Amino acid sequence: MTFCFTGVRSFPKLWKNNSYLGLCPGHSYMSLFPKDCYGIRNQHKWFSLKTASPQNTKATNLPIAKARYRRKGNESCNKQVSPESSHLFAAGAAKKRAQMNPQSKDHALPPVKNIIQLPTKPLNSEEWDKLQEDFKGKANFEDWIISQMAHYNSSVDVAKSLLAWVAAKNNGIVGYNLLVKYLYLCVFHKQTSEVFDIYEIMKARYKSLESGGTSLLIRGLIHSDRWREALLLLKDIKKVMTPSKKNYNDCIQGALLHQDVNTAWNLYQELLCQDLIPMMETLKAFFDFGKGIKDDQYSNKLLDILLYLRNNQLYPGESFAQSIKTWFESVPGEQWKGRFTTIQRSGHCLGCGKTIESIHLSPEEYEYLKGKIMRDVIDGGDQYKKTTPQELKRFKNFVKYCPPFDIVIDGLNVAKMFPKARESQVLLNVVSQLAKQNLQVLVLGRKHMLTPCARWRKDEMEKVQKQASCFFADNISEDDPFLLYATLHSGSHCKFITKDLMRDHKACLPDAKTQRLFFKWQQGHQLAIINRLPGSKITFQHILSYDTVVQTTGDSWHIPYDEDLVERYSYEVPTKWLCLHRKT
Amino acid sequence: MPVFLKMSVSITFVRPFARVLVPFTLHRKRRVLYSTILQRFMSSKIPAVSYPSKASTSPPEQLELDGWKITMKSSVQESVPTASSTKDEDPVAATRELIEMWRLLGREVPEYISEEELKTIMECASKSSKKKYLKYLYVKEKMKKAKQIKKEMKAAAKEKAKEDQLLETTKENKQQNFLFLRLWDRNIDTAMGWKGAQAMQYGQPLVFDMAYDNYMEPKELQNTVSQLLESEGWNRRNVDPFHIYFCNLKIDGPFYRELIKRYGEKWNKLLLTTTEKSYVDLFPKDSIVYLTADSPNVMTAFKHDKIYIVGSFVDKKMQPGTSLAKAKQLNLKTECLPLDKYLQWDTGTKNLTLDQMMRILLCLKNTGNWEEALKFVPKRKHTGYLEISQHSKGFVNRLKKSKTFNSFPKGSLNICTQKK
Repeated sequence: MTFCFTGVRSFPKLWKNNSYLGLCPGHSYMSLFPKDCYGIRNQHKWFSLKTASPQNTKATNLPIAKARYRRKGNESCNKQVSPESSHLFAAGAAKKRAQMNPQSKDHALPPVKNIIQLPTKPLNSEEWDKLQEDFKGKANFEDWIISQMAHYNSSVDVAKSLLAWVAAKNNGIVGYNLLVKYLYLCVFHKQTSEVFDIYEIMKARYKSLESGGTSLLIRGLIHSDRWREALLLLKDIKKVMTPSKKNYNDCIQGALLHQDVNTAWNLYQELLCQDLIPMMETLKAFFDFGKGIKDDQYSNKLLDILLYLRNNQLYPGESFAQSIKTWFESVPGEQWKGRFTTIQRSGHCLGCGKTIESIHLSPEEYEYLKGKIMRDVIDGGDQYKKTTPQELKRFKNFVKYCPPFDIVIDGLNVAKMFPKARESQVLLNVVSQLAKQNLQVLVLGRKHMLTPCARWRKDEMEKVQKQASCFFADNISEDDPFLLYATLHSGSHCKFITKDLMRDHKACLPDAKTQRLFFKWQQGHQLAIINRLPGSKITFQHILSYDTVVQTTGDSWHIPYDEDLVERYSYEVPTKWLCLHRKT
Repeated sequence: MPVFLKMSVSITFVRPFARVLVPFTLHRKRRVLYSTILQRFMSSKIPAVSYPSKASTSPPEQLELDGWKITMKSSVQESVPTASSTKDEDPVAATRELIEMWRLLGREVPEYISEEELKTIMECASKSSKKKYLKYLYVKEKMKKAKQIKKEMKAAAKEKAKEDQLLETTKENKQQNFLFLRLWDRNIDTAMGWKGAQAMQYGQPLVFDMAYDNYMEPKELQNTVSQLLESEGWNRRNVDPFHIYFCNLKIDGPFYRELIKRYGEKWNKLLLTTTEKSYVDLFPKDSIVYLTADSPNVMTAFKHDKIYIVGSFVDKKMQPGTSLAKAKQLNLKTECLPLDKYLQWDTGTKNLTLDQMMRILLCLKNTGNWEEALKFVPKRKHTGYLEISQHSKGFVNRLKKSKTFNSFPKGSLNICTQKK
């Protein structure tokens, strides 16, 4: 706000400065630049084949360097990784993979420009005046200092003395932005009486508030006796836009804090109706509140929450899992016992020995997914985008007249596994090892693999074609969609080999539900080769046989949860479980 | 010092609102709103006059911290009833107020909003799209203001210069002999018109494929038309212009409407061919080359007997391969610019804007020099030119060969693993 005005007022000055300053540094920059970049490139051309890694970060930007560098990176990663470390989709695996590639540049810390020491005790107006004189920055002093205070959570009194000073300067008026920041501090320090005061002031001065201020007021009010006013504020927000899930969370927490269960559930219903995904804290609050209550209706609603988690493939956090466990154990009359475990590879819970739900899709789901892949991933409204109609027809015929396969191989992905080995040889190696096990193998690739060259030898490709069925797509077609369809077409027993995580194809699917279905199928059918050296016997990453999802058998619950210290990517699943079962 | 401060502050507060008041005299409701706010500011001044002296006199040990609250609360008591009466009328007014509050908070929202823009905001599906649109309006408003100020400054400078000149001319006041009247712009226009007419007869065709209107949002379409306008301008000014074709241009389609809107009267006098037909109907198929960044074939040289097609398509939603799919469907030859061959690409997509394409093609047509032509690629996207001299090429090849030879002595993998 003030920025706008100061900007306008000082515009002539800025304009002058620009034209004056612009010449000098720009000029020297231009003259230095070409020399600099040629220098790097030349050095690179001569030495990159010998040096292990380019030291200059700029060199990594060059395309040639990039390719080579990546190879190096992979190699070193190949050497370091212990093979059984973690599953492709296990929580934290992506983070680990990222750490093994040393490409990430260390982020330089932003320069420290805070010259003024934030006051630790209330100042009088002379002291504030003095502080303002010391401050030399573009921003408005009051704005800046209160932002800093909010950032470092200064005490309320200091902020209040600032506001008093500002008010004294401005005939008793304090700007809205200062009030909101002050309100933030009050809410942060839980100064309820101050919050009331600000609330009164805001009500008096402004006829409506914006969402930020309202959210803070809601958060400040819910702990007090006037928590019902927070609901009115929520109503005010709803007039203009949908409240955030945080707003709902605060109101629900407030209602639960004051024992108004019905309001809390109503708000929860409303939240779900707005298509918002509730915060885990909200759900946790319901469980925490329900501790020790014997109320069938309430516990049924809690079980509904668990089913909501299941249907939307959400996983509770560690503390939420703890709350769930405590609630179950506290239910009077039902002797629940909970423990935190992991699941064995065979799909048995280590805690109770029960089998976890299978990863395989039901026949209807399977057909549905197959149709969706065909329609949205391969066809996608324009058959020319990923393939051509002729090729699609050829492929469909091919799939129809071939026996169902056991393994479908992404030829190019597998062949490029080891950068130092010859592509056709790696492929032949994999194919012949699989063929020896009497498996029906399909190799998908592109036509250029058939033109003999140093990397693709004719004799080896012929051997591949003898041991496996092959389908070669056009060089500009995409082969992954064909891989997916061929696997799905062959049936549930069929697996596919690639290291590709297929995220781009998953993204082509229209809705979250289909994407989850695809992800489940992918977890159950994707084989990733984890060999580190070419030539050795191939080993695959084990396939999960069970589905990682909240599940129940009536007298037992199994709930996967996220650990606090593990960073999980969206395409990974948790590895830790909460096992609950009733003693009978 | 305190007097000075007080003065400047009161000015900054009153000025913006005064500015608001002027252009909006038509909207009664708005005027009421602002005048009430203005009232509040005016009225709040009166009771607080004595306040500053009180604060300064209080000893520093026991600071008067809560005093300001009383003034804040009391200052507006009188205007509360009017405020609450208009409170819950309609969501439009509520939105307007929300935006006003956001502005007070220092968010990036515009100062003035027209009814139409407000309607657009209400139609935005999500919160973030609302914020985006508001930011767009905010930036637009800021640019407009800056331009206005610049204009005023220029006008003032001109005025001054005129006065100075007037003084000088009155002093000297002598006759001069000239060969030409000052009609340069008009002459240039006519000359370009002649050249354009010549290009219409004998020029090499360059096709803009306008069949992408349903792949684009209105915003992208507007950007595309801006780029088309600019490329047409570049073409007009060239020594040897292309004969531009707008193919697949549906009459009364969104493209057509936008182009007419932008060109106005000139649209019917443009020296280019617009047609609803496709380029495959106008030209022999084997002489057509579709230019697309997704093409696997690299353009090596500009051929003067080919018909190049550029898709007029701004793709902000990232739908790769759309134009390649189109060319595949019609079975056309495709090519892409040899950007990687000549430039050290750094960031950004290889998709260039239409006017950049036009300038590159014009340059190639006239000189055939790639380095010269690729000057029009934005500098931020690459770090410099590559020199592909014969020597270094051979050197790299040799190294490559020796490397592959070393790592695979008889094509045996075992030795390779041992060496590692």
